[in-house]
Amino acid sequence: MDKPLCPVHSTILYLSDQLDSGKIKEPRIRRISEQILRLVEEISNGHAGKDHLHAVEELVEEYFQNNSILEKSVSDNKDSEIGIYLKSVLTRERETFQSHLETGNCASMDCIRLTPSPCQMACPAGIDIPTYLSLIGEGKDAEAIEVIRRDNPLPWVCGLVCTRPCEMMCVRARIDTPVSIKFLKAFAAERAMSLGHYLNPPQKPLNGKKVCIIGAGPAGLSASYYLALMGYQVRVIESLPVAGGMLMVGIPRYRLPREVIDREVAMIEALGVEFCYNTRFGRDVTLDSLKKEGFEAFFLAIGAHKSHKLGVKGEDFYSGKISVDSMASGKDVMVSTYHEEDKRVDSDLIGAGTGVIDSVEFLKRVALGNRRVPGKRVVIIGGGNVAIDAARTSLRLGAESVTLAYRRTRSEMPADIEEVEQAEEEGVNFSFLTIPTAIEGDGKKVTGLNCLRAELIKKENGDRLYPVPVDGSDYTIEADAIISAIGQFVDIAGMEVFTGIKWTRRGTIEVRHTCMETSEHGVFAAGDAVTGPATVIEAIGGGKRAAEAIDRYFNHIPQPRIPKVPVRYRRENPITMSASTKMVLKRPKMDMLNIDRRRITFQQAELGYTENMVRDEARRCLRCDICRRCGKCIDVCRDKMGIGALQFGYMDFDHPVDTDFRKTSETCITCGACAANCPNEAIVIEEKNGERLLKLCGTILNRQKLLYCESCNAVLGSAKYLDYVQHKTANVAKVHQQKRRLCGNCLRKQSFPI
Amino acid sequence: MEFRKGQKIEVFQKSKDEAWEPYMDEFIGVHGMITDPDTTINDPDALIEVSLQGLGTYRLPQDCLRLIK
Repeated sequence: MDKPLCPVHSTILYLSDQLDSGKIKEPRIRRISEQILRLVEEISNGHAGKDHLHAVEELVEEYFQNNSILEKSVSDNKDSEIGIYLKSVLTRERETFQSHLETGNCASMDCIRLTPSPCQMACPAGIDIPTYLSLIGEGKDAEAIEVIRRDNPLPWVCGLVCTRPCEMMCVRARIDTPVSIKFLKAFAAERAMSLGHYLNPPQKPLNGKKVCIIGAGPAGLSASYYLALMGYQVRVIESLPVAGGMLMVGIPRYRLPREVIDREVAMIEALGVEFCYNTRFGRDVTLDSLKKEGFEAFFLAIGAHKSHKLGVKGEDFYSGKISVDSMASGKDVMVSTYHEEDKRVDSDLIGAGTGVIDSVEFLKRVALGNRRVPGKRVVIIGGGNVAIDAARTSLRLGAESVTLAYRRTRSEMPADIEEVEQAEEEGVNFSFLTIPTAIEGDGKKVTGLNCLRAELIKKENGDRLYPVPVDGSDYTIEADAIISAIGQFVDIAGMEVFTGIKWTRRGTIEVRHTCMETSEHGVFAAGDAVTGPATVIEAIGGGKRAAEAIDRYFNHIPQPRIPKVPVRYRRENPITMSASTKMVLKRPKMDMLNIDRRRITFQQAELGYTENMVRDEARRCLRCDICRRCGKCIDVCRDKMGIGALQFGYMDFDHPVDTDFRKTSETCITCGACAANCPNEAIVIEEKNGERLLKLCGTILNRQKLLYCESCNAVLGSAKYLDYVQHKTANVAKVHQQKRRLCGNCLRKQSFPI
Repeated sequence: MEFRKGQKIEVFQKSKDEAWEPYMDEFIGVHGMITDPDTTINDPDALIEVSLQGLGTYRLPQDCLRLIK
């Protein structure tokens, strides 16, 4: 008799079946069922708050609030059946539901916590990576894009610029190198788009509710996409003349071509999302005017577009920002960390010189079409990715020399190593241990940057090295343009009308990260405005979470208490290949545009993989969505069977050791004990064409010829297995000296003939 | 820079920073990897992105993290 299922788990199975099979026809009932399913899943995996059960009960009551359902015969109405079923389960099993909420445990262990693969868990948007890699490996690019867009509406963009936390956590990296997840996504998106197979999923009918999104960056685009799919009327307000936010005006075109952003934004626009460009919130539209138009929820995705000032003498003058009024009032207080005396303002400098620009403004100007070179000799101040972008952009605009001045050394540079190396290849000079002290000029334009040499010193009780100026080490770097790239912050102009939102001490919007809800009712926020300058994928993930939270807000569903576990959409069959192939396949090297062209054009620097490279690379995936690396197979093989054929050194996160799948066949006897103990059917035994195969997520670890009973033709196992059995039983049973190979039954018949 | 991309870390204590939310108490003792350190200004006060084994990716204050060998 089957073990009775946990009622929480069985409710999930029941509702999932009802929803997936399309048995629920009425949209209202479908919505209620989806909402209940979401809440019950959270109860199941221990993520629910104390209001969840009450909310489920209220939703169940909603099934019966429609008279038309009650008027119909209960027996022939599928929709009312669901309500009746759920009501009876909740009445009968309320204590079990309550116990799940209070203890976070399931006594029957049916409600195991979902364990998506490490790459999926690492992705801030929670993309089902193993599934889409399998699809790409099979050449199903459009299907892969469909899977990705359930969690990320901008797969092509992310395929080119994601910081790829997934690859950092990729288990394959413990064997050799991580799977090139990022670029496979870009390939699939490009191919699907090119073939016209990049499609939007079906939308729910409009529900009559309006949401206003402020900012068309990655967070705003992500939220607008998911809200539009859910049936909301979405308007995006954008102060720039284009969509994309920092994607468009912060990331240079040689890393992310404009067409990529435009095409993916067009897909979102096709869902009916209204984009209002050149529209500044607070100036061109107001909160009151939007509320009068019927907008009931607001999503703030304003980014972090303001640059920190260097705080050195001459900065304001040569950036043309100093005014006579501010000088007179003494309001132009700088935030120098180097020289306090720089706070005073030199009245000789009143005027409007040129040559100093902040990196955000510079990159924006170039992205929007102003391709004038900032100067012949450009100095960039900073050591992060934005500084590198500004340096490489300056080179492409025709600067004769570009120097990046950074206070610490190369090893402390916060920029990505690849970016630094590419900048060096292109000819960017680096001046490390350089502290800018003042900007020199001739009264009209910049002529140089005064600097001090620094040395790195550890402060007491700390490991961090701090740059300290060396006395008397002054020198000047000649320059006619200086670009500051020392960080950005959130521009709060216009946000004052949201009087209920709180700001963190870092100058970002305070939210509950589980739902991106601010402290003002109906106002949500995500992206750089919440995190400070961060990654594209974090903004996309935040936008998606906010869209879900806005939907809950409209439907009066309590918000989750802790972050949602990413969803595994399906279990794609693993691709079969030999252990040798699995080990031999290596991550392909990315070809780059030739160096001369890189220096002078904004053509995409990475040339991409060929199709063969992509398909092979996808096949390197270990399918950690199936093998959860519990290690039971290893334990059984080593401790119970005494063989120790399975040596998977990659299973341990902290101390991985060597792995070679090819070695399993040296000692494995294909007994199947590992497969019998695998809780997730990751390691399996198959018998095919007279052979017994041991497979781990599609990788054939061993294949041995099967032997058959010479009397009845029953399968006996492999020769190695029979030797093992014979050896193990030698001391407990007399070995028959047989000429013929017989199974147990035939042997008994032969020994004890009737 | 104290933390660099790819370094293994442990969340060894609660942070006193305002960015620490109650659900993060569950992170204490968990190992993970730095996936996006402060890529802009190398600030000891910046929140940095870490991916925690089995728990997902979060931006955490640096005072709750320590490197593991």
